[in-house]
Amino acid sequence: MAEAAEQAQEDVKIVAFLCNWCSYAGADLAGVSRMQYPPNVRDIRVMCTGTISPHMVLKTFQEGADGVLIAGCHIGDCHYGKGNYMTAKRFRVIKDLLASLGIDERRIRLEWVSAAEGAKYQETITSFTEQVRAAGKSPLAKAGKR
Amino acid sequence: MKEALQKAVREALESGKAKATVILVEKDGELMPRLVTKPDDPAIDSLYSGDRRYPTASFVVMLQPVITGDIAVPVRECDRRMLFELSKRNQVDLERLVLLGTPCTQEVADACGCDHPFTADDIAIAPSLASPADPLPLPEALQSNDPAEKLAFWMGEFERCIKCMGCRNVCPMCFCNDCALDNLDLVSAESKPPEIPIFHLIRAVDMADRCVDCGMCEAICPAEIPLRQLYRQARQIVKDAFGYEPGVSEEKSPVEMLGEPTELAGMEEGFRTGQIPAE
Repeated sequence: MAEAAEQAQEDVKIVAFLCNWCSYAGADLAGVSRMQYPPNVRDIRVMCTGTISPHMVLKTFQEGADGVLIAGCHIGDCHYGKGNYMTAKRFRVIKDLLASLGIDERRIRLEWVSAAEGAKYQETITSFTEQVRAAGKSPLAKAGKR
Repeated sequence: MKEALQKAVREALESGKAKATVILVEKDGELMPRLVTKPDDPAIDSLYSGDRRYPTASFVVMLQPVITGDIAVPVRECDRRMLFELSKRNQVDLERLVLLGTPCTQEVADACGCDHPFTADDIAIAPSLASPADPLPLPEALQSNDPAEKLAFWMGEFERCIKCMGCRNVCPMCFCNDCALDNLDLVSAESKPPEIPIFHLIRAVDMADRCVDCGMCEAICPAEIPLRQLYRQARQIVKDAFGYEPGVSEEKSPVEMLGEPTELAGMEEGFRTGQIPAE
């Protein structure tokens, strides 16, 4: 029991930003359908992925997250019309910026998950957790705390 | 050079082309902007035309809403890029400005890494658009392909930061009323020196489609952090992804255009999910 707790401590932590209209409902569907996926992910619901500022992604890494997942409606399906175009553009900038500074680009991922895609949510969390495990614990975890 | 600029300033005021002119004067060894409205103002005699730079664009942004009529502003090549980018972001009205192109000496241009300063016959003519200088040679640590080495380099540089806010305060492109660096949820007020790397990266993401590469942040930084290299990397990302160059491109920044559908170049499956390693 204690060993399992210790192992959980050392496992990677992932923060997922989910949009209210598609991906959060998708995650909910995965839950009520009792689909199994790794428990490493902490979900944060936002009204639209377009509201996620790159600053929030940076803050998440600064606070010690090993991976950040952003999930929203498919392109063309945004509840607000074009919010996810904004996300895609910002994601491009923040991912390349982190990579150019030497932060592993496997730690950040953007997925389109609709409200009907509980299975896709399950698959995304599973493969992303593996991907982040391969990248290891974040070098930024508490590095900045001086 | 000084006489030519004085002449241009007086001419702009006398001819009525401009109601006011912003000039730089030196007082107790410090540069400061000064507003002159009359061609016979004695301040024009003591106008500063030396090598030191000043973020005149910030002063113009503050001034324009309270002045009726056109303002003449002596600009270096980098100042012109700033004002152009600021006008696209609705901070300044270029139509109400008379830009007096001011040449830089070769020493200033070399110190700034600028390969196309205005030359002596640029005074009082409308300058054309030009890209900033070619990238500086990379520091040794950044030439390596090892991410750990790159990260170690940047963390080592950021570690020296004393949170003086000089980079933000000198930057003419930092015009937001509510600055993210003052947001206590993002940047803790307790930690001085600041938390790294978030403190520097917040500015870096915002500079990606704004920085005109004037280099004043790096010049003013007491910790000598290579900020210009950092923002150049961010600029390069926006240039590669969207073909947008702040201060040069005619259109507004695509990164900040909400709802504007964009060619999602480089946004194919593998890039988003990271499952296919990017070459």
